[in-house]
Amino acid sequence: MDGKIEIDGVPVKEAAEAIGANDVPDLGDVAQDALRRLLRVWIGFERDLVTVPLLRRLDLGTYTLADHRRLLVNLRQQVVEGSRWIARAASSMDRDHSELRSMILRHAVDEHRDYTMLEQDYVNAGGELEAILNRGKNVGSEAFHAFMMQRASQPNPVDMLGAMWIIEGLGERMATGWATRMEELCEREGITRFMTYHGANDDDHMQRFYAMLDEVCVDVHVVERIEMTAKVVARLYRLQLEELEDE
Amino acid sequence: MMTPVYITSTGWHLPGPAISNDQVEVVLGAVNGKPSGLRAQIQKANGIQTRHYGIDANQQTTVSNTQMAVLAGQECMDRAFRPIHQVGMLAVASTQGDHPVPGLASFVQAGLGMAEVEILTAQSICSSSMMALKGAWLALRCDEHEAALVVATEMPSRLLKRQRYEAATESTFAKKTVDFNTEFLRWMLSDGAGALLLETAPRPKGLSFRIDWMKGWSHAHALPTCMSVGSSGKAEEDRTWQDYETYADAERDGALLLRQEVRLLDHIVRLGVDGYVRLVQEGLNVPSEVDHFLCHYSSHHFRPKILDMLDAAGVGIPDEKWWTNLYTRGNTGAASLFIMLDEFVRTQNPKVGERILCFVPESGRFNTTYMHLTVVDSDGR
Repeated sequence: MDGKIEIDGVPVKEAAEAIGANDVPDLGDVAQDALRRLLRVWIGFERDLVTVPLLRRLDLGTYTLADHRRLLVNLRQQVVEGSRWIARAASSMDRDHSELRSMILRHAVDEHRDYTMLEQDYVNAGGELEAILNRGKNVGSEAFHAFMMQRASQPNPVDMLGAMWIIEGLGERMATGWATRMEELCEREGITRFMTYHGANDDDHMQRFYAMLDEVCVDVHVVERIEMTAKVVARLYRLQLEELEDE
Repeated sequence: MMTPVYITSTGWHLPGPAISNDQVEVVLGAVNGKPSGLRAQIQKANGIQTRHYGIDANQQTTVSNTQMAVLAGQECMDRAFRPIHQVGMLAVASTQGDHPVPGLASFVQAGLGMAEVEILTAQSICSSSMMALKGAWLALRCDEHEAALVVATEMPSRLLKRQRYEAATESTFAKKTVDFNTEFLRWMLSDGAGALLLETAPRPKGLSFRIDWMKGWSHAHALPTCMSVGSSGKAEEDRTWQDYETYADAERDGALLLRQEVRLLDHIVRLGVDGYVRLVQEGLNVPSEVDHFLCHYSSHHFRPKILDMLDAAGVGIPDEKWWTNLYTRGNTGAASLFIMLDEFVRTQNPKVGERILCFVPESGRFNTTYMHLTVVDSDGR
């Protein structure tokens, strides 16, 4: 041990290769700039989520089954409409963006019925199906949905990549950070399948995401637009979680 | 044009013998005579193999925090060309001095016998070293002084000895079978001190480090406290230690135990990445030109996915450029970077012109600090 970093006697470089960490996509300069910006938006988003009262209860260990039902009721209204902006974004892509269109459509197929899973989680958490079906959006979901529909309606809305970055990232965070903790604190299983399902999909999505980012990032204006959309989506998603209405 | 500032000498003090993993609990003591069920697991995760303590196996203090700082400062000055009476400023950093008041710099000044110097005490956790260093760096840049001694010293062993936990009879630690948050740091931190001499000219023989820039960002506005002493860690309790009727009450309730909210710890790595990328965007950090990355990072046994993303974003630092002595010298908190710089310059044979990026994160309430150095010769080139 002369100061070189080792893991169980193996120098870090080899250890990193052993776990496949060096499988780095070869992005162009502009896409790398975009990725750096998106990383910072994500980190800020994740940091600020800690201030959301309901999520703070996860850290404090005071999160209850009633909190969980409240979260699902509020999430569902945005999720159920999610397939609409995804489909809209796909149809706004012209022939020069057909790869991106395909990727978005695949995404839509993956996700357009997953609100049924969320509804089942709600019932498993002790809620009435009728109650979750008959809700409107909360203030944050309303703003979030309106923004997404507006952006998706623009010609070739490549900035939707910024939105997907945040939403996919959150999917993974739910799966790896929230779901187990929620089931543990609520002492009940089968209430987070919507969240874990999202995480399971994400490795593939990441590689596709890098490829798309590289393709659409032709200049700094595109990068700025992607960054702005990511920032707005991050803020409105947090708003949705701050504006939780009672069950 | 501001005056350039150089680190012209370094020194350290690591008290007593190097203590191996299985001897740690002998020194700190088994709480109520019962070996910890978490020790081996936490030690495996942090990868530290040896460290030092300023207490003996009876938990008696063998050296004070002040004395360690003085010894490190003396070693640093012994290697310097400038005599100590020509040093105009003393900046000292620690998580906790020997006295709550006055500031530790006064005691270290007395120990070093430095007459009529300007003093600065920085108190926080790991990043307090960077706070003291920045204060001294700026003082020299503004021509307030020609030389400043900066010492960072840390003595957590006195917080971590068995008697502290045994006295906390009504704490979360006493009530739970496993209290990870309260026990975590017991197997992470250890004692030591490091010192740097700053001057406005490089040393006349050998190498110096020019300090190119120092930056820091704190995220306390958004995140709750993650590492602290002073509250009980109970969700319903908002008193801090001085609000109890007696200090004994505070101790019983566990308000004097060192605690880490482990669930929040991930944020410090990510926020470290945030500041790092921010420095790239501001043009200060050019990763392709960094030769050595000295990082106060207390666990390398997992590689966070976010580091892969840095590679993808074209700003990763190859593993062979990372250097640390944490695994042999222990995690000495605030003292860690200075102890690292001292051993680096003595053993790693840095070359003139090489660039060194230093990173010191503090999980306390999420402060991230960075420094960039260039190796220069006696002409400052």
